[in-house]
Parts: sequence; C-alpha cells; structure tokens
Amino acid sequence: MLARARIVVERRGARTVVRELRSQPPLTLLPQRGAVASRSPAATVHMLSSATTPLGGDDVGLEVVVGPGAHLVLTGVAATLALPGQGTSGPSRLVVRLTVGDGAAVQYLPEPTVVTRRADHRGELHAELGAGARLRCREVLVAGRTAEPSGRYLGLTRVVDTATGRPLLVQEQELGDPTLHASGAHLAGRRVLGTEVLVWGEDPPTGLAGEWWSLSPLAGRGSLATAVGTDAVTAGRGLAHAIAGHPGWAATTLTSAAP
Amino acid sequence: MSADHGHGHGHSLDPTVTEPDPHVPQAPSGRAVRIGIGGPVGSGKTALVAALARTLGSRLRLGVVTNDIYTTEDADFLRRAGVLTPDRIEAVQTGCCPHTAIRDDITANLDAVELLEERFGDLDLVLVESGGDNLTAVFSRGLIDRQIFVVDVAGGDKVPRKGGPGVTTADLLVINKVDLAPYVGADLEVMTSDAHRMRGELPVIAQSLVTDPAASDVTEWVLAQLAAVRVPAA
Amino acid sequence: MASLAALTLADARFPGGGHVHSGGVEEAAARGLITGVPDLGSFLSGRLRTTGLVGAAFAAAAVVAAARPDAGWAVLDGELDARTPAAAQRDASRAQGRAALRAARLSWPSPVLDALCAVTPRPHHALLVGAVVGIDGGSPAEAARCLAYLAVSGPASAAVRLLGLDPLAVNAAIVALRPALDAVVAQAAQAAALSPDRLPAPGAPVLDLMAQAHVHHHREQVRLFVS
Repeated sequence: MLARARIVVERRGARTVVRELRSQPPLTLLPQRGAVASRSPAATVHMLSSATTPLGGDDVGLEVVVGPGAHLVLTGVAATLALPGQGTSGPSRLVVRLTVGDGAAVQYLPEPTVVTRRADHRGELHAELGAGARLRCREVLVAGRTAEPSGRYLGLTRVVDTATGRPLLVQEQELGDPTLHASGAHLAGRRVLGTEVLVWGEDPPTGLAGEWWSLSPLAGRGSLATAVGTDAVTAGRGLAHAIAGHPGWAATTLTSAAP
Repeated sequence: MSADHGHGHGHSLDPTVTEPDPHVPQAPSGRAVRIGIGGPVGSGKTALVAALARTLGSRLRLGVVTNDIYTTEDADFLRRAGVLTPDRIEAVQTGCCPHTAIRDDITANLDAVELLEERFGDLDLVLVESGGDNLTAVFSRGLIDRQIFVVDVAGGDKVPRKGGPGVTTADLLVINKVDLAPYVGADLEVMTSDAHRMRGELPVIAQSLVTDPAASDVTEWVLAQLAAVRVPAA
Repeated sequence: MASLAALTLADARFPGGGHVHSGGVEEAAARGLITGVPDLGSFLSGRLRTTGLVGAAFAAAAVVAAARPDAGWAVLDGELDARTPAAAQRDASRAQGRAALRAARLSWPSPVLDALCAVTPRPHHALLVGAVVGIDGGSPAEAARCLAYLAVSGPASAAVRLLGLDPLAVNAAIVALRPALDAVVAQAAQAAALSPDRLPAPGAPVLDLMAQAHVHHHREQVRLFVS
C-alpha cells in the first residue's frame, strides 16, 4: 500500500487551526473537536490505522507542516503492529517529515510499535526546526509480542536546526538481532526501547539518570530521554521520569497539551 | 613522518661526558612549580598535603591534584581540613592504575594541573598527590618538577633498604609517623641510615605530624625547591 | 603499507589518556551486567557494532577530510556530536581527543592538526585519530580499524582490572570479534567519502543511559574510571 498523508496547521490569533488535512489509507488523521479542543491553544490530531498496517511492502509517508507560532499535537490511538508481507514484498516503510516553523511547536506521540516476528520495518523521522521551534517526539519500540522473537526494524531520527543548519540529533535504532539485544551495551536483554526527543526550552545542565532511564542534554539544543524495559509500561514510566526532570518541559504552561 | 622527533631527553651513556643533568628541569616561567607526592598506601601522603596546605596556603597561591581510588575521600579530607577551597582541589580518576597516571600516561594529571592553572591564572605551587602504590611508583618528569616519596615507620623499617625507584630517586624521602616507631618495633636509626645509604646525597626527612603538625622541615624543603626551580632559564 | 600512526594510537602504551576510560564497563560491572568473559564478549560486540561503528566511520571520514584543503572539521564535529546524545559520552570522547592531541602534536606536527584544533581545542577522539592517521599517510580503513579496535580493547582492559578476569581469556574474546570488527571496518571505510550527514549513526541505548548513570554515581560513590 502506498500512502501519502499530510497535515498543515497554522496559527490564527491565539489558536492553531488545521488548514490542510489529507488522510490516505492506511493512515487516517482525525482532528480533535469539541469543547476541549476549542479551549486549547494547540490543535490535536489523532493518528489511526485504518487497515492492518504496516505490512511488508507498505510505503507510508506523513508530511507535517506547522506554521510559525502554531502548536500541533499528533497522537497515536493504538499500538502499531509491524507485520510481514507476503512473498517478496520487501520491507514496510513509514517516513515522517516534520517542518516546524519559527516559534512553532509539535508533539509527535505515536503509540508503541511492536515489531512482530518476520516483520521487516523501516522508520524514518525527519524534523526541521525553525528559530525557537519546539519539538517533542516519542518512539517506543517493542521487540516482538510477548514470547515472540523480534522481527527486523531499522529506524532513523534526524533533527536539524534550520536556523543554524546544525544537526541536533542523528540516531539509528536497530531491532531484530538477538545477539545485539542481549548485549549490555544495547538493550541488556530488555524487550522495549523508548526514546523521547525534547527540544523544548531550557535543557538540564547535566544529565539525569535512573536505573534504566536517562535524560541527557544534546550538544546543540534539546535533550534525549532514553529508557529500556521488559515491557512498554516500564519503559514508558522511565521516559516519564526522565522528561519530568527536563526544566523546559516542566515549565511549560501548555499543560493541556500534555497527554 | 619526521625522522627525528621527541628525543629531547636523550643523554649519553658515556659516563665521562659531562652535561647538565637532564632530570633537573626548571619550570617554564609563568607556570606553577609542580611537586609530586608519592608513596605506599597509608604512609601519610594526604596528611602531608593537608599539613603543607595549612602551612603554605596563606603564603602561596596553591592548588592540589589528588589521584585514584580514594580520590573523593582525599579531596573531602582536604576540604574538611578547611585549608583549601574546594575549587583548588582537582580529583583525577586513574582507571585502577595509579602508577600509570603519574608515570606512563600522565595526560589526565596534566589536564588537571592545567585546569587549576587556567582557573586561577597564576599559581605558585601545585601539589600532585599520587594514589597509594608500591615502591616502584615514581612520577614522570614530564608531570612534575620535584617529587617527595613518603614512607612510614609502621610499614616496616626494612622499606628504605629495599630501595626501588621511589626510595632511591625521589628528590626528598620522608620517613613519616616517627612517633609510632616504639609501638611498631621500628628502628628509626636503621631506617634513616639505610635511607641515606640508598640515596647518596639526596635528602631524607624523618617527621611526625603528631609532634609537628606544620611539617616544618618539609615546608622548608618545598620553599627551597620553589626558589631553585623558579630560577629563570638562562 | 601499514600506518605507524594507526599502530601507535591503538597501542595501550600510547600516552593518550585512554586508560582512565572504561567505555561503560565500570557501570555495567557495577550493575551485574558483566560478571565474566562471556558477558564481556557480548558487551564488547554490542559496543563495537554501535559506538564502535560511529567512531570508526568518523575516523575514516577524518582521513579523507585531512587530505582536503578545506577539511570541514566543523561539520564533522557537529555530525558526530549529533550522533553522541549522551553528554557523558561526548565528554569522554573529547577528553580522550584532547589527551591524545598532546602526544600527537609532538609526534605528528601538522597544519592539519592546527586546523582541527582551531575548530575545537577538545576534538572528538575519532576525528583526532583519523586526522593523525591521515597525516601519517594511512588509509581510511586503517583509521577505522584503529578506532574499532580501541572501542573494544580499552573496555576489555578495564574489565580485567575491575573484575580480575583472566587476561588470556579476555584477549581471546577480543580476537573472537574479528568478523564483526572486519565488518565494521568495511562499513566505515565505505562510508568515509560520503557526505558527513550520511555517516552511520547506530544507537546504543543502554550504553548511553549507563554513561549518564556513571557520572551520577561519581558524585555519590567512588568510581575508578572517568567513563
């Protein structure tokens, strides 16, 4: 399945409005409406999988443009199951491009991706941040369903500060090699890996660390939270601990935007 | 690659050739004189550093680098002694190899000394205290200008006789805790005469920080070294 | 032709400050993740394929850069920073780079090193190694092999010191990594001529979080290694 979805939001007055919304199966985008939405300065859009996806061979692209000063929250509704395709379908692919204007903010918060046995999935997240733009991106990867060996996953996250041209974070993650997962340098036998990029105002001067989570300032601006766990709940809790220690996030007044 | 580099310390093996001792460096003008303090575990290195800091801290611009496993405790000890502000003490991790850090690969210590020099601009003296090690552990001349080796009477009165580079080549040998000699059955005279025999002309100071908390003799020696090392290069 | 620089830099006796870094082994040992030679081999293998590959690729790219009139050190420095999300790892890399620079300036004086230092007085270790190997006439693959080897040999030595492991068995465990090492070197050498933004960036999540925890523990209890 080849799909290209697109969201464009812009700021009008004190609010963010959705100017363009294009869903294409298997990816359906559903803006949140109603009283809560109208009170929030941010626009919230839910991401739904309208078919069993990603299957091997699927090629899904999501383009997100957040105009200057606007604030978009993109949330997943259910965990994604990466599944194998049939025959020689090749890997499934999800490419997300976030273009965040000056002073704009985006939170990209999909639910966990479960890489099932024999799946071969590729994920890419490219974020380009304008001057003073804020970004929060969460990725939770689960190496196989319970008691199932992991399929293959290769992911790339690249965050660039367009004002300076400087890359803030470039990171690939790989799942599917049990030898690598077992290594004390990689997952230390844990099944779930959570990361959360926060480019959101003030960063901690030095890192923070718990037993299986950490928060570290990046070299440019921004911070990376990392957590591993035996299940998604544990890893998610680790991430929550980590970002609670982020001074910029903690100070945010957009409490309604935090899920 | 250059055919000839890094051999500035080469010296002739012909004993009839006279040339200045290549191992008596002078501190380049503008930087602090660096004195290393080494010796076995428990011989009283940190106590000596604290005594020197107490005695000299008000007269000289002083910095201290501590090494090794007891780094945190040593630094805390010095801080508690109240003689130096914490920012004048830099602690170095040595990766379980205290002798490597002062002899074979001195970069971590050089970094620490330079950090102190950058922080305070113009220090007179930096004391580099090694982690407790064995009798073979001496400082590289690339790190320090002078070195003191500290042994104590409780470590056994045979120590000076055993020799080793620390005892035989250090610029000053300190026999510490002499007040304990009667209690541990150490013969101080044997220790001192053995030390002199092993060291030739090099000085030996026997002291007790219990009876002389100011470490007067060592202080005097340190001041004399400062004057000597600081002679401007010809 | 073998580069003497690559050999020298990979020598444990090279006075470049490497011996005070455990590459995460001290923290991993404290957590019980490494207790013996098999765990260590697994740890080293993971380290090699992640952090080791990043370092090897940037060392190889630095050899290519060193030969150009405008090396573009700032871009490589920025891309490597972006691939080293743990602040403690960046510190460790730059501390080793600065330490090795001391020895390198005496042994391989060159305007290439001056240009690197003009960008940062504390260059990343991988870039310093690549620059020196390049100055010495070595190849990107040689620099990559040097870095990849150091990514496992330093931590292995730390494990011997911390856990009293049998050094002969540990040496055999390093040698057993040969196929992985060759693969990393090949991948790094192939990437050397790519635009810096295309260089590999494999993450090492537990290594990253342990690096931060190691710094944290430094303040509370004794740690023998800087990283």
